[in-house]
Amino acid sequence: MPRLPGALATLLAGSAVLALGAVAPAQTSTAALQAPAADATTDDASTPPAVPTPAKPGVRPELPVQKHYELANTALENGDHDTSLYHYERAVAGQPDDLKWGAEYRQVAIAAEAYDRSIEFFEALAEEHPESAHVQMNLGYAHVDKIPAEGAITQVILANTALTHFSNSLEIQESWLGFYTRGNSYMYWPAVFGRTPLGIADLEKAIALADGMEKLQFHGRAWAALGDGYWRLDQREKMREAWQKGSEMYPGLPELEARLAKEGDELDAYLDAQFETSRRVATHLREIFGGEASEDAP
Amino acid sequence: MIAQIESASHRTTGLLLAALMVALPGAAFGDGPEGGVDEGASAAEAKGDPSEKGPEQESWFTDVAKPAGVFKSHRNRSFENRYAHIMEGYTALGASVAVADYNGDGWDDLFVTDSSNGGKNLLYRNNGDFTFTDVAAEAGVADGNDATNASANSLWFDGDNDGDPDLLVIRFGQNLLYENLGDGTFRDVTAGSGIDDLYLNCIVAVAFDYDLDGDLDLFYGNYFAPVNLFDPETPRFFPESFETAANGGGVTVFRNDGPAKGGGWLSFTDVTDEVGLGKISGWSLDLGHADADHDGDDDLYVAADFGTDNLFRNNADGTFTDVTEKSIGIDTKKGMNVDWGDFDRDGYFDIYVTNITDEYMREGNFLWVNNGDLTFTDLSRETGTHNTGWGWAGKFFDYDNDGWLDLYVVNGWVSGNEDNYVLDIFDLIIQPDVDLADARNWPPMGPKTLSGYQHNSLFRNLGGTLFQDEAPRHGLDSLLDGRGVGLGDFDHDGSIDFFVSNANREPILARNHQPTDHHWIALRLEGEASNRDAVGARVKATVDGQERWTFVNGGNGFASQSTRTLHFGLGKVGEVEKLEVFWPSGATQSFTKLAADHIYRLKEGGKLEPWTPGTPSIAPKAQAAVPKAAPKAPKPASASGADESP
Repeated sequence: MPRLPGALATLLAGSAVLALGAVAPAQTSTAALQAPAADATTDDASTPPAVPTPAKPGVRPELPVQKHYELANTALENGDHDTSLYHYERAVAGQPDDLKWGAEYRQVAIAAEAYDRSIEFFEALAEEHPESAHVQMNLGYAHVDKIPAEGAITQVILANTALTHFSNSLEIQESWLGFYTRGNSYMYWPAVFGRTPLGIADLEKAIALADGMEKLQFHGRAWAALGDGYWRLDQREKMREAWQKGSEMYPGLPELEARLAKEGDELDAYLDAQFETSRRVATHLREIFGGEASEDAP
Repeated sequence: MIAQIESASHRTTGLLLAALMVALPGAAFGDGPEGGVDEGASAAEAKGDPSEKGPEQESWFTDVAKPAGVFKSHRNRSFENRYAHIMEGYTALGASVAVADYNGDGWDDLFVTDSSNGGKNLLYRNNGDFTFTDVAAEAGVADGNDATNASANSLWFDGDNDGDPDLLVIRFGQNLLYENLGDGTFRDVTAGSGIDDLYLNCIVAVAFDYDLDGDLDLFYGNYFAPVNLFDPETPRFFPESFETAANGGGVTVFRNDGPAKGGGWLSFTDVTDEVGLGKISGWSLDLGHADADHDGDDDLYVAADFGTDNLFRNNADGTFTDVTEKSIGIDTKKGMNVDWGDFDRDGYFDIYVTNITDEYMREGNFLWVNNGDLTFTDLSRETGTHNTGWGWAGKFFDYDNDGWLDLYVVNGWVSGNEDNYVLDIFDLIIQPDVDLADARNWPPMGPKTLSGYQHNSLFRNLGGTLFQDEAPRHGLDSLLDGRGVGLGDFDHDGSIDFFVSNANREPILARNHQPTDHHWIALRLEGEASNRDAVGARVKATVDGQERWTFVNGGNGFASQSTRTLHFGLGKVGEVEKLEVFWPSGATQSFTKLAADHIYRLKEGGKLEPWTPGTPSIAPKAQAAVPKAAPKAPKPASASGADESP
């Protein structure tokens, strides 16, 4: 078993209830933290114990994180979300800066509607790995993942907390993804909150960073989001200019094509729908890791 | 100009408000907040001269509040306690209207509340020529506001089954009960009635006969918990959560036990726990009743602020069962209004509930489509009724008599200055571990705006699946902070008019002079074995082979009670093939071949008779005019009296 530092070890052992501050958990923390049911007599570390117990060296043989990762995927293929989460948590705990594994874990948490479990897991992981930009990123996304399942006010709290973690991530390490993610998150805030210009600034930084990177099609999304920012500010010329420029640099990008094809009320309705808070935003990041594209990705 | 600004409203709120502040004063509503009753009101002005509005493309409504003499502005309550900085913003309620024929002359009158300390409530007697005269003082019902009570709403109901509507004045504080003495005056019968000495902070009441014993019982929806808002003993009387608050006033049920012992008027008994409604403690904003499953008794929908709405099934044994989870699910929204109506003509009554939809909170309204099995599906998005803003009253009615129920929705919380209070609220909610129940933690609202300057919507029903907002065309897209909508055919011309109460502003009296050649019938029911108001009576009209349902409701809709007279638009069809009445007593009556464009009267068990309004009982100040389209003498309908089941 990978080394599990303090709070995280306690968390994974199922005995901790973390304070969540302003975010009221929709489900009890203890339930979220418990390992899935299994044969209590087994001592095989590949099978989660029925009654979670702290890891005892020598009693439960440690598994390599890769093994946990494989077991997580096997469980997922079998539709066993609880077991998958159990193993994913151990895998991600062993490789906390692995953005991909963290993103995959969160998708299982979404499928299991285990939003608080995911938040609590990454909170504990962030506490143990304050140097990890990707843990902060996943922690922010974990809050975003919960938004569609909540009421309007809790959505605001979650979105605001997510922004905090995206900022933490950028403070640790600046990146295209960091600026794009935070900038795009600002776009979900009505203009009255005054955050749109902050988002535009982030997106411009993301665009500047992309210039020095290998050109990837999804980088064009920063242009789409930049235009969205000008739409929020009702600066229609700049809006269309951003989308047009992005389209020239990233031809065929669906997000840009869809925006450029619309005008007036149709465009407003389209963008209003894009920013509807009850609509789930895909946070799987598969495009980054070579997976299939998704229009509603962040 | 306003339309241009509106198109960008979700991105330019500050600019929008500033522009509207410039554009609005006096533009549409004359005298502003200080405007009072126009003594110079005349019948000619009040008519709105429909002759000039012929083409169907033009506006069909005219705001005649001023010439009709009902233009006095509502005033919010100001507080003088240590929580005044926050209380005033959160009690911008109390502008309400209740429609009923209080003096039995056949013309619907209006009771309109004010909320200011010492402010007088208004009883507008209908003069029969679309002018009204305030007779509240001489009738004895003007006093509803004092240092420890603020009028919030009112309800007409015939509590003693004597044929005239009695009056409940609903107040933040203690409610008042008035007996209608039948001579144009009332007496205060609160003391000894069983509803006295209760500080319930009620904001809505409906009256229906839940136990089917032949009299009307009272259901209160209470907003704040029972604390003295004017001198609270604790600062912890605000909602503990924005989404799951359970520290509100809940619901109180008073069973009507008939004449009080010792010579009092009526005796009511608090049976809230007994009937199964004692477990909810949310911030009730509206109640609405209807027979959702056609089993002969009325079920109850409770709309709550800061938490889930609830639906209760009437068990027909004097109790209710909470069926919320199965019927509508748990929500975290801000329910403001409940109105029931069969908008899709499938034979079951559907529900319209308003919530908050703005750039910062996109809850969306509910249009609960009744699936017929006590489950409901929200089709507000699909029908185009989802987003109206910060909604208040939303009422079903057929304004164009095409046979489909349309919907008028009033919106907007507080229209203040260019500063947006939502930013202050945002600062509050992101504070970790903030105690929201403590009023001291809430930021002062002052003159700021929160979801203000929002248009009202008139949704035209396009065949039961889609609505189209026609408010701009008809000049009904007011930006005032609307609260209640009282419907009634105030001139008996066969088209439904309505009164809109606005918080801290003048009301609107929308006179309908729709020019279509659509037909209609109206029906005035009087119970015999059933409660005399016939509340709960369901009526099915078969028109051109299609069935249409309506029912008599006892006060549904936020801050407003509409007429008890039932109305069917018939479209081009000139006859109702069959009319069936299902009384709360269980009796049914049916009639065939009713000529269109007439008002009918039916006493339970009796004959269906044509009815024409008499001369208003008290001569109006202004010269009386013959109603624009006085009902013609219809051919008698044939009454079969055969019992049938729905």
